Amino acid sequence: MAINRRQFIKRSAGAVSVSLIMPRLWMGGAALGQQAAADPNRRVFVVIQLEGGNDGLNTVVPYTDSRYLTLRPTIGFKDTELKDENGASTILGNDPFGLNPAMGELKSLYDAGRVAIVLGAGYPSPNLSHFFSMDIWQTANLTGAGSGWLGRYADQKLIGKPGLSAVSIGNVLPKTLHADKVVIPNIAPAGGSDPFVNYTFQTDARFAGDKNNQLNTFKSTSTRSFQPNSFIDAIARAGFDAEEGAAQIRAAVGTYTPGATYPTNNQPSATAVSFASALKMVAQLIITIPDANLLYVRLGGFDHHSQEIGTTADNFTDKTKGQHATLLKAFSLGVKTFYDDLAAHNLADNVVIMNWTEFGRRPNENASKGCDHGTQTPLFVIGNPVHGGLYGEQPSLSDLDNAGNMKFKVDFRSMYSTILDKWLGADSQSILGANYPNLGFLG
Amino acid sequence: MASLSYEEGAHLLRRAGFGGSPDEIDDLSSRGREGAVDYLINFNQIDNTALQNLLSASFDFSTQGDITNGEIRRWWFTRLVATKRQFEEKMTLFWHNHFATSSSKVQDFFMLNQNLLLRQFSLDRFDNLLLKVSQDAAMLIWLDNITNVLGRPNENFGRELQELFTMGINDVVTGEQNYTEEDVKAVAQAFTGWDYVRRAPFAFQLKANQHDNSVKTIYGQQANFSGEDVITIISARPATARYLTWKLFNFFVYPLTGSAADKSTIDRFSKVYLNNNHSVKELVRAILTSDEFFSERAFFSLVKQPVELVVGAVRMLGGTYNPGTNARGSNTLAQLSRNMGEDLFGPPDVAGWDFNLGWVNTASMLERFNFANTFMSNRNFTNPGVFITNDQLRPITKPSSKKTVKRFLSRLGPLSVGEALGTLRAYLETGDNGQPVTYVNDDPTIDKKIRGLVHQIMCLPEFQLN
Repeated sequence: MAINRRQFIKRSAGAVSVSLIMPRLWMGGAALGQQAAADPNRRVFVVIQLEGGNDGLNTVVPYTDSRYLTLRPTIGFKDTELKDENGASTILGNDPFGLNPAMGELKSLYDAGRVAIVLGAGYPSPNLSHFFSMDIWQTANLTGAGSGWLGRYADQKLIGKPGLSAVSIGNVLPKTLHADKVVIPNIAPAGGSDPFVNYTFQTDARFAGDKNNQLNTFKSTSTRSFQPNSFIDAIARAGFDAEEGAAQIRAAVGTYTPGATYPTNNQPSATAVSFASALKMVAQLIITIPDANLLYVRLGGFDHHSQEIGTTADNFTDKTKGQHATLLKAFSLGVKTFYDDLAAHNLADNVVIMNWTEFGRRPNENASKGCDHGTQTPLFVIGNPVHGGLYGEQPSLSDLDNAGNMKFKVDFRSMYSTILDKWLGADSQSILGANYPNLGFLG
Repeated sequence: MASLSYEEGAHLLRRAGFGGSPDEIDDLSSRGREGAVDYLINFNQIDNTALQNLLSASFDFSTQGDITNGEIRRWWFTRLVATKRQFEEKMTLFWHNHFATSSSKVQDFFMLNQNLLLRQFSLDRFDNLLLKVSQDAAMLIWLDNITNVLGRPNENFGRELQELFTMGINDVVTGEQNYTEEDVKAVAQAFTGWDYVRRAPFAFQLKANQHDNSVKTIYGQQANFSGEDVITIISARPATARYLTWKLFNFFVYPLTGSAADKSTIDRFSKVYLNNNHSVKELVRAILTSDEFFSERAFFSLVKQPVELVVGAVRMLGGTYNPGTNARGSNTLAQLSRNMGEDLFGPPDVAGWDFNLGWVNTASMLERFNFANTFMSNRNFTNPGVFITNDQLRPITKPSSKKTVKRFLSRLGPLSVGEALGTLRAYLETGDNGQPVTYVNDDPTIDKKIRGLVHQIMCLPEFQLN
């Protein structure tokens, strides 16, 4: 049983009174370090953020809409081009949509009924700033202010739970996970064979005998009382949590054996390898830490104002290559490998994956084979618990707003509420501040 | 002429630079408030021959192929640690974050050129700096203006110019909307055809046949505006003066709130910009000499940027940074800063880095603590990297444990740490078995316990603040 802040302060010589004891999101239990036993009631949620504004029209292609190719004469896909690299069609059954040809793996999950596609997700009075719109999606608040929507979920549901329950992969903590009452840890991948290797509090290797003195001194100075809600208090809490949680995380994830083959050697791309590595870390945490409940990864680079398709070699004409195809392949392959890994560990029934992005892109391509900032976008909810199929409604390309953008059909917060209520067993109204309709892809 | 105490001098050097030795702080303090700021911002008068010699000996940028990402990062960190013109580098860092451009998309040769440009014009008229940056290859590539052409313009540059480089979406004082989506489109049209020549020296060129000469409506005015016209118009807008003031205040002084008092502060300082021909130098001078800058509220009110943390630690303590002669294995400071979340030449996006609590999370805190350990426990004094020798540590120690702790706290701030002083002193007086030992500042103690002490001081929450 790990010592927590309150116990530590009580045990320290010259104990000080602490006005604000932060609850732990980790408190190592006996189960740490072993593979989590299958618990039919376990519910894990994984968020994948696509940064930069993913081009939804080229992700879920409305290939029967005649306006689509009119607006996108060079970057749009004809129906005959909707085939993955093995020649298999990426058209969604009898529906008027096809997935981008780079997403063959996701198509196989869709065909197996594991993918819900929510069409037309957005919000009223769309903001075309990356940063403002990200804030809106992350806070679930149209002013973009306040804590993160999953931070509020953590504040309600994850306090006092034994073991590590929420982790973000990356070197910054996304606003989605900014909470008032807990510090959600994040781990930056180290690269190399052990991505968790840097997540540790190091001391002078020459004097191992001094390590305990070093650790005790650190714990004592970082558990002093500081003014609540000040920078220094946040720093002390994050630092203490990091040192205390690190050893436990490392002990647990060391027992992991992958159940699927993740991409390596820059194949199909360096981006695919790094994104899959982040998902592999998520798999490691889910598989070895039974309380892992909320995980977050990012995939960046979607701001394709120019040269969205093709490479220099094909003079930017090959739609199956280039910036967007590379990223969607990374997403599709990463998610499928991650899913297979979970399935091999009998955890595929316990995990739901959702992606989001701050906006889609403008239907009309610009002269540089890219698209400027847009509004609504289709999103994916993936996993065995999901009722696969199409949800929401595709906005018309004949009815655009003054900026030439599509009009949203589904408030993105109904996706959140559906997941909170029907998967995470939370109270969406108190987290989101209002009631949003259940979209029906879960439960 | 306002006098300057040692603490105020240390604060000024940490903010306008990266901190320094007691001698440097004494020298700065002796100049008084206005004199010290004058000395810092008129940096061209400071002899920097030693840095130039070090750069010449350590870097070869004679061919474009030599200019790699590792090399330009090593080059900038060498400057940061070794320059005598600290404010020149700090201001360059401010503009790098402001005009945030990344190696992820832009060739390192162009990244280096942009950095030289930011340094050269860092205190110029804002109009001039903005024009230089906008017509420089790095920015033209970064925000796709090289593909912004007549007919179907690319809005990337036109949008971020207004949202991030000049005004912000809403006025930071009045809250009024500064521009519309129609303005974004019209401004993008004004910059159509802005490009660079694809051979050395890669100069700016206007491709006339790709430039839109139609009449555009921008902020309610109608004319055939050029890109230059737009830059002139935006630079003169009070919203721009206020936005730049707000950004400079947040970077150099303290985090501004939305309070009426803070809004009035922004408004007051923005007049310096408007009344001095948009001079960045005069605006910065006013800010750094202000009572706000030396107020209680300002001291240790910011979270240290990773670059400030690593460069400051070396400068305050008097350690050694050996940049080596190539990027391989010698990028220690650049890499350590990158691990903490600030990768120079690689900001996360065009909005730059997220400051203060944006630097604080469990991963970055461990990286900060582990930098402290790396700096203190690295005893390889021949290879490139950051280290400190026992000979460099010894003069800071005293025969008494209490005085020793106080000396190091003073060197690394000066920091005021309350009851942690006793905890640190107890550390010096505790042996491996946890039993008390008598502290003596001999060589074995310096190599073990003094290094451990400094590691611990650099892990203090107080040390993470600036």
